[in-house]
Amino acid sequence: MAKTVNLKIDNREVQVPEGTNLIDAAAAAGIHIPNLCYMKGMKGIGACRLCLVEVEGMKAPMIGCTTKVREGMSVNTNTEAVQETRKFVIDLILSMHPLDCMTCTKAGVCNLQKYAYDFELKESTFTRKKFGYPIDQANPFIKRDPDYCVLCGRCVRICKHQGTEVLDFNGRGVGSRVVTANDKPLQESSCTFCGSCIDVCPVNAILEADRWRKGREWEYEKTSSVCLSCGNGCSISVSTKDGSVIKINTGAPDGSIERTICAVGRFGFDSLYSEMRVRKPMKRVNGELTETTWDDAIKTVADQLKAAGEGAAMVSSASILNEDAALLKKLAEAAKIKNVDSSASLYSGYDAMKSGGADLEAADLIVLAGIAPDQWKRVLPALDAVVRKKVNSGAKLIVISSGDPKIAAKANVVLKGDEVKMLMELGQAIISKGTKAPKEMVEALAPVNPSDEAVNAAELFMAAASPVILAAPSLYKAAANLSLIKGDVVAVPLEANAKGVVAMGLTSGGKKFSEILSTPTKVLYAIGEVPVSKRPATDFLVVQASHLTDLATQADVVLPATTALESEGSIIDWLGRVKQVSMASVPSGDAKQHGSVFIAVAEAMGTPLKPVKDTDVKKAAKAKAKAAFSPFKKDAGHDVDAQSLMDETNKMTINGSRLLWLKELECAAVSA
Amino acid sequence: MTEQAKEPKVEDIKAAAEGKGCPVQKALYFVTEFLAGPMCGRCFPCAMGTYEARIRLQNLVEGNGTDADLRALRRIATDMIDASFCKKGKDTGKFILDWMATDVYREHAEGRCPDMQCASLIEYRIIPEKCDMCGACKDVCKYLAIHGEKRKPFKAGYFPFEIRQKRCTRCGECIKVCPTGAIVLVTVKAKEPVGV
Repeated sequence: MAKTVNLKIDNREVQVPEGTNLIDAAAAAGIHIPNLCYMKGMKGIGACRLCLVEVEGMKAPMIGCTTKVREGMSVNTNTEAVQETRKFVIDLILSMHPLDCMTCTKAGVCNLQKYAYDFELKESTFTRKKFGYPIDQANPFIKRDPDYCVLCGRCVRICKHQGTEVLDFNGRGVGSRVVTANDKPLQESSCTFCGSCIDVCPVNAILEADRWRKGREWEYEKTSSVCLSCGNGCSISVSTKDGSVIKINTGAPDGSIERTICAVGRFGFDSLYSEMRVRKPMKRVNGELTETTWDDAIKTVADQLKAAGEGAAMVSSASILNEDAALLKKLAEAAKIKNVDSSASLYSGYDAMKSGGADLEAADLIVLAGIAPDQWKRVLPALDAVVRKKVNSGAKLIVISSGDPKIAAKANVVLKGDEVKMLMELGQAIISKGTKAPKEMVEALAPVNPSDEAVNAAELFMAAASPVILAAPSLYKAAANLSLIKGDVVAVPLEANAKGVVAMGLTSGGKKFSEILSTPTKVLYAIGEVPVSKRPATDFLVVQASHLTDLATQADVVLPATTALESEGSIIDWLGRVKQVSMASVPSGDAKQHGSVFIAVAEAMGTPLKPVKDTDVKKAAKAKAKAAFSPFKKDAGHDVDAQSLMDETNKMTINGSRLLWLKELECAAVSA
Repeated sequence: MTEQAKEPKVEDIKAAAEGKGCPVQKALYFVTEFLAGPMCGRCFPCAMGTYEARIRLQNLVEGNGTDADLRALRRIATDMIDASFCKKGKDTGKFILDWMATDVYREHAEGRCPDMQCASLIEYRIIPEKCDMCGACKDVCKYLAIHGEKRKPFKAGYFPFEIRQKRCTRCGECIKVCPTGAIVLVTVKAKEPVGV
């Protein structure tokens, strides 16, 4: 625990951890120190000068964002002198800011508007300055209007911090502008359209492109939920108006390192309203998929399952919710189906998915073993941002990979080669420095001769206080051996609820996911967006999905399911935390959540299911595998191309939303 | 070294500004050069304050100055001293404020340049009584701002010499050649009439 410091802010006693800055300390006491350029969780730069405060015993005012708390400090945030300075700065900014709050989309959440109100500035007392810069709105994601910019630099800093490095200042002082390299439009830069800049912009300068006349902040209903598009399972905050989603922002707490979402999470919600949505149950009649009623569809499925008995099989996506997974498990048991599995087994063994979590905030060394997060290829983009943020704020990075991932450019040490061999070399290098390790491990590694790089990496590992190893699930067991020496190890799945699905017992006692698909079945029940596009050899195919996937077009029965934004439940994310998924949008058409379909099917089969309790989920989430030595080996049969799997599982989200524009642009760039 | 040569230091600009005759022009020169060179733009009071100060000083020099400009300048300067990040900004504030203590800024706002340097606030005039119509001034004026006719003994009427203020650039060449001292430099908005 960090030491706490006592101080007085505006005569209020405050107790905060050592090293806190004055803005955060004041916030802890419920006092707001005005600021435009400060971003929680990042170092203050003291540019806007709004956070000037007076500290007793100091002649000149101090900057709140860079001044650290000291024992016995007495701070006054509200003296006449600092108020005058703040008013002066806001007055100057207003002199170059369009005063059209009455039609401005950001009205209500604009910091400049708030401060102008606080300082009673109806308009600037200084000379009005107009620049008339061109607006960058050539893409469907982000609109940049430099005329509104207050030059706080938050977008530039977040963009650099998370490693995308698209935005920067051109010029200095008044008349400078936030631009991309060579002032190209965003789509011609290396922008990933993650929209982190939208989240941090205090004014109307950077905004979602389609926000004009879609209501303003006070009209929205906000729902905290989770994005289930990839293994990161990022927290999101969904803004809805009249039941439909208007925008999605990051939902992680302010200042948290996970405060990033990607373009899929932010803009993929378009697909809720896409033409590819399945809104009514469908049944194949005379070779054509025709709409039918729920009762009829459920009855057909129940009859088929009953008739097939053990000959039936079920495959599920690993991004369905815990509650749904538990119900699916129960349905399989009730129908006596042995072969039921989730797509998690494509890339992971079940044990790896029971791995524990890690404290990313405290980590000072990150080891990437066999995973290649990449914001540009949209492979675990949020994880890529987290790693880059960590490295940019001083943490060390070791990349162990047989390929050539982009993140390796950021690494302190790259161990290139077979991942297991590299892990062994690293382990041996650590042990040979005289570190204690389990006996079996010392014996197993004795014949290994570490390379120079491995020795360097070992030095970093030894120096780190809390290393975190992020491993591909297939390498989890091998990597976990290192955590017996020090630190935490996390197996990173590729789907949001892989850990939850496994924890809820959706593991096959019989055939695994890929085996189920490659052997003939009597009935195949596919749930969610499974990474399969061709109809497997089966007599009867049931697809239960939110969109008309390639597989669904070949199905005999299609059941409309809700998307993550229309569902209620929980997931267990990649760090083993239970996250609540809340219904933000009204289900489209007749779509039902997976779980309630399972209940209906079971009922139609005459074997009703017991409901899943919250405590069941919590209990399952707590059960963690204990770390023990296991041989340095890679789990066989779990090699998948992360990018193609993610493309496959997010295909409908991308094709049904404005992300298609980006995809086509990327395809065009590749072919050109 | 080359970079230093490119980017003038605040002290250099200050020294160069001393070359200007009028304090307001000194301040304007200083602020303009400061904006073009050493200002880093990192903190708002300095970056935006100097920009605004330049506009206000320009107003004063051009004779469009008002009391509002004086108030704004005083506010900018004091706030820059208080709130700027580094010494450069504070120095700039001080440079502007130092002259505020004298009456020079107020004089400008009222339309007078005590040092007779600000082109928009002064004008050259020919006093007809002293003019002997030699035409020397007309010959020397590059801007064809002086009209008039040389006195010819056989002529009764004549065009008196006078200076067209719109054309005059206040270069001051005419005053140097006038043999009789008939050309005077006056303030446009003088408190008392001059040379009439």
